[in-house]
Amino acid sequence: MSQRSERRGIHVDQSELLCKKGCGYYGNAAWQGLCSKCWREEYQRARQKQIQEDWELAEKLQREEDAAYASSHVPPSQSSLTPFSKFEEKKTNEKTRKVTTVKKFFSPSSRSNTKKESHEAKSHSPSFARRSSVETDQVSREFVDFLRSLKPGREIHKQSRAFVESMGNKKDLGADELSECVQDFYQNMSDRLLTHFKGSSEKVERVMDQVEKYIMTRLYKSMFCPETTDDEKKDLSTQHRIRALHWVTIQMLCVPVDEEIPEAADSVVKAITDIIEMDSKRVPRDKLACITSCSKHIFNAIMVTKKEPASADDFLPTLIYIVLKANPPRLQSNIQYITRFCNPSRLMSGEDGYYFTNLCCAVAFIEKLDAHSLNLSVEDFERYMCGGSGSGDESPCRRSEPPSQWLLEPLSALQDRQQRVLEEAQDLQIEIQRWQESVSREVQDIISKYPLEIKRQAAHAIDCENEENDRLPPPLQPQVFTT
Amino acid sequence: MAAGGGAAATSAHRTFSFKVVLLGEGCVGKTSLVLRYCENKFNDKHITTLQASFLTKKLNITGKRVNLAIWDTAGQERFHALGPIYYRDSNGAVLVYDVTDEDSFQKVKNWVKELRKMLGNEICLCIVGNKVDLEKERHVSVEDAEAYAESVGAKHYHTSAKLNKGIEELFLDLCKRMMETAQVDERSKGNGTSHASTGRRGVQIIDDEPQAAMPAGGCCSSG
Repeated sequence: MSQRSERRGIHVDQSELLCKKGCGYYGNAAWQGLCSKCWREEYQRARQKQIQEDWELAEKLQREEDAAYASSHVPPSQSSLTPFSKFEEKKTNEKTRKVTTVKKFFSPSSRSNTKKESHEAKSHSPSFARRSSVETDQVSREFVDFLRSLKPGREIHKQSRAFVESMGNKKDLGADELSECVQDFYQNMSDRLLTHFKGSSEKVERVMDQVEKYIMTRLYKSMFCPETTDDEKKDLSTQHRIRALHWVTIQMLCVPVDEEIPEAADSVVKAITDIIEMDSKRVPRDKLACITSCSKHIFNAIMVTKKEPASADDFLPTLIYIVLKANPPRLQSNIQYITRFCNPSRLMSGEDGYYFTNLCCAVAFIEKLDAHSLNLSVEDFERYMCGGSGSGDESPCRRSEPPSQWLLEPLSALQDRQQRVLEEAQDLQIEIQRWQESVSREVQDIISKYPLEIKRQAAHAIDCENEENDRLPPPLQPQVFTT
Repeated sequence: MAAGGGAAATSAHRTFSFKVVLLGEGCVGKTSLVLRYCENKFNDKHITTLQASFLTKKLNITGKRVNLAIWDTAGQERFHALGPIYYRDSNGAVLVYDVTDEDSFQKVKNWVKELRKMLGNEICLCIVGNKVDLEKERHVSVEDAEAYAESVGAKHYHTSAKLNKGIEELFLDLCKRMMETAQVDERSKGNGTSHASTGRRGVQIIDDEPQAAMPAGGCCSSG
């Protein structure tokens, strides 16, 4: 076998290359072994059927919803939909597909979306393979190109493809069993490469990297965050947890990074970008590479600040800070996915494994984080968790630092001034009160000293006292004029 | 390659890969110790590495190749609970204390207890009293430390990262012991079946289920 494959390179049996429908044309793996013509027919038929089904379903649901709306003003399906964030919607779309379809139908771009959504969900229909075929095709091509130069290339390709196909039938297995299958496959493959084909361990590792890339790109859809696990629930709870911890500052974690230094701040931003990017990769090794790259940026930030190589004492708190700041999407799912499907030699030893372990530590720390781990009093911690604001001079984690720095100074000056004004106003009030009291006291004194006496005789002798009365002209006498 | 920790593939030109965790409180000089060992530098302005938390060293011990990966761990008290995540699957542990700091020795005792509980006797322990250049300020007596090490089945070493004393010996000794452990392990594991489960201790896989992946594998051996 190995001799034959050596002579023929990557060549495959004639019968394997032909279209499965037996039309005589050549088939293609990306089209499930069909030729382009048969594939298109198959695909069109499945798609038409799918569209038809979706329309029927949507109409049915629409009728039901109308009926529900008529009886109550808040239709139940509607209310269950609205709180979904974009992320949750995407994650749960498999389960709530029906509802989502309806929703999509009534959005402006309904038609195209619906097709896409439903095909995504229907992983068995040919259109699914079609949709992701751009990426998988490329990976397949690269894989074949890579294997062409290798002696056992054909063997590897055949086995990998067979494995991917066999995994297609095992969708109902639990995540641990799936992981076991994949890990066994890695193990068998690398053992065989080492013993039968006498590869050096470096070479075998290179091949295994490609094998991992090939099979995991193709299996990603069904293996990432499978429905049989509660990964999704964990994702959400971690996300909420991190969101609730938005107030944690760089000082509380004792992070040895000074974000005032532009280069350090720059590295922090890059680290955050890398850890977020992890979610977009399909191959476990690529996800690991994102974590490693993130770690390198962290080291750089520490180096710039401390001017010495970072130890784990520096690194872990900084990584925790980065995770808190980034709140990476689907963090738990990604960690689980890497743990389950990454080549173990990479995960157990090696630099990537070290950084991955640190990420796991960071997540564990965040989950269990309490007042003690931040050197806070329990009351302070509770207050922060309840959304109480801090003392003001520490800027929370999630706010970007530079603006708050230049904003904080005038703010605190303003606060001082306001405080002064308040104090002075109070003083003034007290003074006014005192003044009022003193005035009334004086008045009282005077009143008590000089009590008001009413002199009776004076009242009818007003004129007698007036000496100038003599000089006054005599009063006018009334005169009567004849008319 | 299959070698995760300890076991390697072919017996002819085998390579050992060991994972060693480095434990110790904040200021005991863990970082200086590994930087001295891997870069032979101490408080140097010209240290090339960006980090001292994950370092590797390639050794050749009696004709056998050894890849040593040294994992630094965060020593702060609040990260204590995370220990098990770090030292899972490690072949050796270097527990460092500062001879001038009694407290740091107490911490070492805690870690020893935990390591033995989690990993049993599979792991080779080294207890290291660092900073012996500060002999005058010593607070942990040599007898106490050595007696304790003996009582828990660990080896005790005195080092000074500043004077480069005792560090080479420490790691060389540790490697030899880990090689012994790995070989004993392998012999007890079985005869010839070299796809050793030691390499996969961490991944929760049961090895005796070959039929799981066989549909794909069968065609190779038969054809």
